[in-house]
Amino acid sequence: MKKTIHIPIGSQHISLLEPVRFSFECENETIIKVEADVGYVHRGVELACTTKFKFKQVGYVVARVCGLCAIVHSTCYTLGIEELMGIEVPKRASYLRLIANELDRIHSHLLCLSHTAENAGYEALFMRIMKDRELVMEVQEAMTGNRIQFDYVSIGGVNKDMNSELEGVIRNKLGLLHQKVAEIKELFDNNWSLSLKYKNVGVITKEMAYRSSLLGPIARASGVNFDVRNDSDYLPYSELGFKSITMEGGDIHSRNMVRLFELFESIRLIETALDGMPEGEIAAKVRGTPEGESYMRVEAPRGECFYYLKASKGQYLDRVRIKTPTFGSVPGMIEALKGSNYADVPAIIASFDPCLSCTAR
Amino acid sequence: MLKAAFNALKNLFSTPATIDYPFEKSPKNKEARGLILFEEPKCIWCLKCEDVCPPGAIRFTQDRESFDYTYHYNPYLCIYCSECVRACPDSAVALSQCNELSPPTDDKNMNDNWFKIEKEAEESKIAVKELKKIKKEESS
Repeated sequence: MKKTIHIPIGSQHISLLEPVRFSFECENETIIKVEADVGYVHRGVELACTTKFKFKQVGYVVARVCGLCAIVHSTCYTLGIEELMGIEVPKRASYLRLIANELDRIHSHLLCLSHTAENAGYEALFMRIMKDRELVMEVQEAMTGNRIQFDYVSIGGVNKDMNSELEGVIRNKLGLLHQKVAEIKELFDNNWSLSLKYKNVGVITKEMAYRSSLLGPIARASGVNFDVRNDSDYLPYSELGFKSITMEGGDIHSRNMVRLFELFESIRLIETALDGMPEGEIAAKVRGTPEGESYMRVEAPRGECFYYLKASKGQYLDRVRIKTPTFGSVPGMIEALKGSNYADVPAIIASFDPCLSCTAR
Repeated sequence: MLKAAFNALKNLFSTPATIDYPFEKSPKNKEARGLILFEEPKCIWCLKCEDVCPPGAIRFTQDRESFDYTYHYNPYLCIYCSECVRACPDSAVALSQCNELSPPTDDKNMNDNWFKIEKEAEESKIAVKELKKIKKEESS
């Protein structure tokens, strides 16, 4: 007689935000074997980038890879192309890009936190975080012109300048957000339904994180001090004194805490960038066509976003390869799910903050 | 915990954070990006905007007799990136951006008919090029 039960979850499931399929082999309530399938929303973006769109337009196409980290994709692509074309970006443009990137991180982390709260059965906190997230969405609209698809970064610089009025709005709203995030952090730390439910659930040890090469907040929650913002100087993070946040627990609670502390760090980075904003042009002139190969990494809200570009002096690129952060965290997700209770699955998946539309592209 | 309970009580008596949307207009940011406006008298017909537009929302068709260009704009394809506004040369500045979004319409040039415009935009330019070539040969 068979002793295990086979339970599929997805590709469409009430607890999943995006289409992904897991199939579990369970012994009573404990999961012993996991299989994952992520390719449900393939859109053929990579091929379109090399056949349908010219290299100047591709930045807007890759921004549509992901709704939440749109600016990360366009920044990563643009930095790669600028390396190929040898364009020097004005310092002011770099600072503006940094601010837009950090604002994006704030709104993405807040969304993830609200979903983890919802999965613990704390609907009221979900509503509350979504309400507070509106502050940062308004800042983004005022700064870039759009709430989600910013289309802010273009080859050579950025599309919109900042004035003192806008600076005031950003400082004001981020100050308010800082207070609200502090309140949310207290809830995540002290509230019974959040802290008790999430401690020691879905644990990933430091060794496991290394073995399944995890990146981003998930690795940092397991004690691996790795952050692309520290490693490479693609935007002026070192000038602003960026400090990465690590925790030792490796469970859902510490992943939430890493995200919360990163919110404070992002708010601080934006305020420091506003203090030391250099004067000057916001875009450099673009001439010529790209040639050669480039590899570019950017720290997305969920981990490391990687782009490989190849061009040979034409209007169309030869190859665009995108590696999205969630793709790297799927092996870790499988590791974390093994040995845990079936009832914890939605919470564990949500704590990884999966973005599967970008994974399948 | 006490603070959370206090907040919950306070929220019971406060007004909702959302707006009553269909009956109340949603707030509009003056910096928000929207539709592209075109002023024909200023245009120098350099076709740079057609070249840079990522979704191909701006198309020019060319008349086969007078060689005049006609401007076509599809507000439903437009992604409001304003790449065309930046591409517009300083000697023209025919394009600008407002913060209005595309309204519902019964414009006959939209939907399936837009494909015809796209096709015509490509074919007419090739045809005009050949016509010009023939004319040149005739005159010489």
